This record gives sequence, C-alpha cells and structure tokens, in this order.
Amino acid sequence: MGGVWHTAWRRLFFCGWHSFHRGSTARPAERVEPFLRPEWNGIGGAERGLRLLGTWKRCNLGARDPAVQPSRRPKSSNPFRRAQEEEWRRRNKTALTYVAAVAVGMLGVSYAAVPLYRLYCQTTGLGGSVVAGHASDQIENMVPVKDRIIKVTFNADVHASLQWNFRPQQTEIFVVPGETALAFYKAKNPTDKPVIGISTYNVVPFEAGQYFNKIQCFCFEEQRLNPQEEVDMPVFFYIDPEFAEDPRMIKTFLCRGEDPIWIHFEEEFSIQQATLV
Amino acid sequence: MSTAMNFGTKSFQPRPPEKGSFPLDHFGECKSFKEKFMKCLHDNYFENALCRNESKEYLECRMERKLMLQEPLEKLGFGDLIGGKSEAKK
Repeated sequence: MGGVWHTAWRRLFFCGWHSFHRGSTARPAERVEPFLRPEWNGIGGAERGLRLLGTWKRCNLGARDPAVQPSRRPKSSNPFRRAQEEEWRRRNKTALTYVAAVAVGMLGVSYAAVPLYRLYCQTTGLGGSVVAGHASDQIENMVPVKDRIIKVTFNADVHASLQWNFRPQQTEIFVVPGETALAFYKAKNPTDKPVIGISTYNVVPFEAGQYFNKIQCFCFEEQRLNPQEEVDMPVFFYIDPEFAEDPRMIKTFLCRGEDPIWIHFEEEFSIQQATLV
Repeated sequence: MSTAMNFGTKSFQPRPPEKGSFPLDHFGECKSFKEKFMKCLHDNYFENALCRNESKEYLECRMERKLMLQEPLEKLGFGDLIGGKSEAKK
C-alpha cells in the first residue's frame, strides 16, 4: 500500500503549498488545475487528486499532523458529512431527552393517579363512593316517576354462628323511584340467652345501589333479642328519582315495555353474640 | 355481602340510614298495623303504591309509641296523603 504514503506525501506537499500562498484567494480553478496535469494520470487520475483536494481544506483548518491517521470523531472526512453527523448527534440527544422526560412523566402520573381517581370518584359518584348527601327535604319534594316500576327483592342472611331465625316478610315489592316504601323482616331468637346482633345490607346490582336510600332501618346498630323473642324489623327506604334519568340504568337493565327493573336487596346479620349477666 | 377480593370490581359501600335505626318493637305495640300493611301488600300483589296509607299508619303508630322520632309526614314522603286524598291519581 504504497499509495497511502503517496497520498500523505501529496497532502503534505499541498498543505505546505497553500500555507505559503495563504493570502491568495484560491479560486477553485487554480486549485483544481494541478490535478489535471498529465503526470497525475499514472497514479489514479483526477479523481484521487480531487479527493485530495477535499482533504486540503481539512489540513488548512486543523493543526494536525496529517501523517497520523485520524482516530477520533468525526469518522468521516467530508466536512459536509461531518456537519451532518454533528446535526444527527444533536438531534439524537434532543430525542433522548424527550424520551427520558416522557418516561419520568409517566411514572409521575402513575403515582398521582391514585389520589386523582379518588377525587374523581367523589365528585362524580361513580365507583360506589358516597354521593354528596341527600337532604331530608329532598324527600319532601321528590316526585314519583310512575312509569318506571322497579321490583325490589329481599333476602336475609345470617352469619353461621348466630342462631337467629331471620327472614324477610315479603319476597318482593314493586316500587317506583321517588316513592317511599316500607318493608319488614322478622327475627326470632330461639335460644334461651339474650343475643345481640348487628346487621348490614347490600344492594345488587352495584350501579343501582347508589340510588337506594334508606330513611330508617334496623341496621348498623346493635339489636338485642331476648330469649325466645320475635320482633318485626322495618326498613323504610326510597329509590332516588334520579334513577330514572340515569342513562346507565337503561343500559344495564333490559327494560322491555312493562317489565320492571329488578333490584335485589339483601340484609345480612352478622354475629356479635353477647351473653348478658 | 360482597366479600370477594377482586381487583377492579367495585364493591358496594353501604350507607347508613338517614334517620338512624328503628328501635326494636319488643312489645309488639304496632304489630296490628304491621299485619294490616302486610295483608294489603299480599292482596295487591306487593305493589307498594297501593298500600301507602297502611305504611303511613304504621309509622304514625311508631311515632306515638316513641319507637320513632316524631317527624312531619311530608318529610317521610307522605305529603300527598296528608290532606286525606287517596292515591288514585295516576
């Protein structure tokens, strides 16, 4: 590869030549002209010469030893390509910064999502959270929606270790939204010791549960039954008239003509057995 | 009671009743009113709208016997029954 030395020689020679003539405005024709002389033809022609011309500028710019192979960046020797690579590198850095920012942002949003969702649920009432309280004067003013008949079925559950006989006194009742209704459960204590029980309730389906309001019932407070005692336990409730306006209630239930919408109401008694002295 | 621990399924949150809990009617003081109401329900195929008079009377009984806090009947949704009008209106 004697050609390598040859080109290096040529570079050195032309560097020197240019520095000597620094002041001169090197017109392209003057610079190209030596390459077009006949003695160039043997070595590789005008192309090699013109290539060398390209390196000439580089030699002029940098104070580098041209004999040393350039090992650091930019890799290409073409100044245009070098500028392009710089541009790409800059763009890559910008893109990387953006991607990193997006990743960090996603992480932050995923952490913030929990309290934000809770806030959203509270304001819109979705997800079964407590809707802003219905004032009792709403009951006064509410107008029954007579064309939406709802069937409420009742169920009673007792915890296994509580020995009460607990059952609803009606299996179902037909109400309309906006109308207050009364329902009864019956509980009997067959044991010969006083027993205290506490109850809670559940409404299925879930979306309808928001509209189910109890005015008064027997749940959430301890109720004591004496031995062999049987009592009637009333539940006084109504279904919010806004039930009729909720589009989800139409989608959730198939309301075909006269068929009533079905809601299931469940009372469950759990154990809190206490024997009083 | 929904006890299934499913992620993503919304669980029902029971709300306490607005006026609290009914004291138990240990002595059956209002039992006759309750029986009247239940009979009315049975006769009318469990349609609540036709038995509102009876439910009003039951609650009045409770209020008299101190088994329920005194409340004006309008607040309990019986405003249309106060004037003695029947609920034959459609």
